[in-house]
Amino acid sequence: MARHPNPAALVKLAEGRLSRLRSRQVIRHLIAGCAACDEIVAQASRFDYAGSFSGAWCATEQRDAALAREKAAAPALLQELLGALAATPEAAQALVAGSLRFHAWAFCEHLLDTARELGFQDPGRALELARLGVEVAGRLDGSIYGEQRVRDLGGRAWALLGNAERIQSDFRAAEKSLVCAERLLDKGTGDPIERASYYLAKASLRGNQHRFREAFRLLDRVMTIGRRCDDSHLCGKALITRGFLLGLANDQEAAIRLLSEGIERIVPAEDPRLLVAAHHNLTLYLAESGRFDEAMSHLERTRPLYLALGDHMNLLRLQWLEGKIATSLGDFARAEALLQPVREELAERRLGLDFALLCLDLARIYARQNRSAEMRRMAEEMLVIFRSRDAQREAIAAVLIFQQAAEMERVTLGLVQELSEHLKECRAVPGPRSRGAV
Amino acid sequence: MATLDHPELRESLNVLLKNARPRLERVLRNFEVPPEDAEDILQDAQLTLLYKWDKIRSPESWLIGTVKKKCIMYWRKRRGSLCEAVDTAILDLISVPQAPEQEKTELTYDLNRVLAKLSVRCRSLLRLRYGLGYGPTEVAEQMGYRTSSIRKVTNRCLAALTRQLLAVGFQRERGSEPAPQDG
Repeated sequence: MARHPNPAALVKLAEGRLSRLRSRQVIRHLIAGCAACDEIVAQASRFDYAGSFSGAWCATEQRDAALAREKAAAPALLQELLGALAATPEAAQALVAGSLRFHAWAFCEHLLDTARELGFQDPGRALELARLGVEVAGRLDGSIYGEQRVRDLGGRAWALLGNAERIQSDFRAAEKSLVCAERLLDKGTGDPIERASYYLAKASLRGNQHRFREAFRLLDRVMTIGRRCDDSHLCGKALITRGFLLGLANDQEAAIRLLSEGIERIVPAEDPRLLVAAHHNLTLYLAESGRFDEAMSHLERTRPLYLALGDHMNLLRLQWLEGKIATSLGDFARAEALLQPVREELAERRLGLDFALLCLDLARIYARQNRSAEMRRMAEEMLVIFRSRDAQREAIAAVLIFQQAAEMERVTLGLVQELSEHLKECRAVPGPRSRGAV
Repeated sequence: MATLDHPELRESLNVLLKNARPRLERVLRNFEVPPEDAEDILQDAQLTLLYKWDKIRSPESWLIGTVKKKCIMYWRKRRGSLCEAVDTAILDLISVPQAPEQEKTELTYDLNRVLAKLSVRCRSLLRLRYGLGYGPTEVAEQMGYRTSSIRKVTNRCLAALTRQLLAVGFQRERGSEPAPQDG
């Protein structure tokens, strides 16, 4: 057998760092079979990692000081930005673009968290903040925070923007934003938690587009990540989202089951808004399945959660839900008393589709009590609100049908139900004319 | 957002790293990552954990999973170049034009002995490659593979051969056949 190669050369070869000529010599030696050289490589692989751990910890501690300063400055920076945003969105964009103070990780996260928090509460403001979040994430310095981590945060920002656009029913823009998010995440750290957030946003979009099979596949991936990362809250989120989508697909029984499972798994303090939304939809589906007593007792049990959250829109939705249940139970006086104030608020907020849906809930009461004059008046108001906005043609057509039926005193419960379902579908799948909230 | 300025958080992170250390060491050893590279992997994972502390609900599982993934990526890259070095070296050795006949015979004998330890599929493929000097398309045709998949199959067989020569960078718990990502 030829002379043994130098041990350093063996180790270099193992690390893929040996020159071509030397590799040839060493590999020729190894092909002949050499137990002694195998042992050298094995010895070299018996590592001591004490230094690796202490070195890594030192670097982490060093980065922390800068992060602490960023964190302290983030709330004031957000206030400054909100001030600029109150003037014009362009002023806020210019502020972010022109000042290095805003190009900080902690600020970007704070901004994105605020945008997420506003989500359904103030969708317009959430969208503006998400756009600014994308702008800030795109300006973070990779040499400071790490290129891959910056791409992760960029991906998170784009996914959040996509979700805000979905909430505003701008599905085409949401689609584009999610593509940007995916591109960045593909080049990021590969963090499964970031990927799961992206999948959740994409699944919600697919659900709104009625592409349920794709949505459920994405949610399966979130469940797998949740299980692998030992993250019960994430699994709960996936189950709740699946429950929402099953409700959208008119499978109330499955929706009830999954929402109940999801509620069990999430950590309430982590996401009180999600918890309220999950309970709200659970109550709604119980009522829609005709399980009114269960719905009512569930609603009473969860009322403190709505009050604790204190979000006005959620309280409004709660009142609407109570009105719907009262209608189903035949308590029309109470139902009307609950629904009328909600109707006024929705009109004031120009939430056209919600307004129309609520009017149809009132129409059920009027139809049962033969109150044709009120029905006609309400139908005219619906049309006025709709025509003043950039509403979808199909939705306007539905309202027109209702208005004509009311005019001819031919509104039936069947017609109300049909129009109500049609409007819900319009909300989920907007046509090409629909951009902002109707 | 997390920072170590909060004593509670510093303590949490310390406890976490202390608890996770035996498992992290096991991962690093299993993957045979040299200490200087292990420091880079640990540092990167810890920094990401620090930046994303609020978003990660089970930090220990996350940290171990992340380090494991980084080790896989580390070796995927390294092993690729190692397999390539082995392949190039063998091709160089068999193509030396004026090597003495005895050297050539010895090389063929030794190579056959190593190949005999591989699966039938890898043995056939590498014999075509090294024994008959077939290129990838010819190997694919001869063995009934699609041209599009021959590169992947060849890489797996090269990884198996490399493992026979130099068992480094392959997780110990795995069997002798390389996993699909090898090479």
